[in-house]
Amino acid sequence: MPKVTLHKGGEVFVDDVDPNTNLVVRAGIKKFPYPNLDYKCGMGKCSTCTCRIIRGGEHLEAPNWKEKRQLGDKLDEGYRLACQLWVSADIELTQEV
Amino acid sequence: MGKVLNPDELRTALETAIRGNTANASPFSLAWASGKLSRAHLARWCENHYHYVGPFAEYLAYVYARLPAEMEEAKDFMLQNMYEEELAADRHTDLLIRFGEACGTTGERMKNIENANATTRALQAWCYSTAMREDPIVAIAGLVVGLESQVPSIYRKQTPTLREKYGFTDEEVEFFDLHIVSDEIHGERGYQIVLEHARTYELQQKCLKICEVGAQMRLLYTTSLYNDYVGSEIPLTELGLAA
Repeated sequence: MPKVTLHKGGEVFVDDVDPNTNLVVRAGIKKFPYPNLDYKCGMGKCSTCTCRIIRGGEHLEAPNWKEKRQLGDKLDEGYRLACQLWVSADIELTQEV
Repeated sequence: MGKVLNPDELRTALETAIRGNTANASPFSLAWASGKLSRAHLARWCENHYHYVGPFAEYLAYVYARLPAEMEEAKDFMLQNMYEEELAADRHTDLLIRFGEACGTTGERMKNIENANATTRALQAWCYSTAMREDPIVAIAGLVVGLESQVPSIYRKQTPTLREKYGFTDEEVEFFDLHIVSDEIHGERGYQIVLEHARTYELQQKCLKICEVGAQMRLLYTTSLYNDYVGSEIPLTELGLAA
């Protein structure tokens, strides 16, 4: 099972998730990484769920058109929209407060 | 008296009840997925679909109002689903209208129920009556688990086709993109509520039955779209189905 490591507000939250998991879907049903992952619309429009990938980004699908529209050049710095990501391998990410 | 299912068994039983009647098997869905529909066919879909999904927050509002106050988390889940449907970013029906306009219809035509067929009206009426009259947990099983949770699997299949075979742009098909994530959240919330609160044999059986009926209603709806708008131009045999 993929291990997810989320850095947020100076703390680190770690748990395993099922393969092909969307972290916003999990947060939406109050499972890890709830309540530590901020999100709002779940449709790639508000950017509330923006995270920077520290490790494991190579296992993610390439950014889709919504991430390109919302994040632009920040994609090159490792930022992604959590609501658009399906996690199937270990990943470490940080969400700025 | 039958056996009370544990949450894992109940989830499997609910998924089985839906799978047996999935709308993915309807001729309209098959024609859509194979790229055989015209933009005019898709416009008719928009004019009908608006009247099924347009009031979805209203259906949920009736359920929300009837959930007992002590089921606070379930109420919160319903409220979140309503908020995300209408206000979290773009209103979902506005994106449906954008797709409809790309297909050649208009928002005005889509909002006018005179352009929906009788089966769409029946599906809408079934949603309202389920929301208003069934035990709220049973209503959630029917509306959220039986209907809404099917959407991600349907749109995962249909959305790439809209881009690749029908030539729509990303913006034009945003309605479908958003539902792959947002309805996954909504469907999962529905499962959580039903698995937690349907803890008697009778209630579980009612949830399973309405889930099956909800999936049948959606299948009936999509089949009627084929019969009313597509069948005269694309025969069943062309879709690999027996006539």
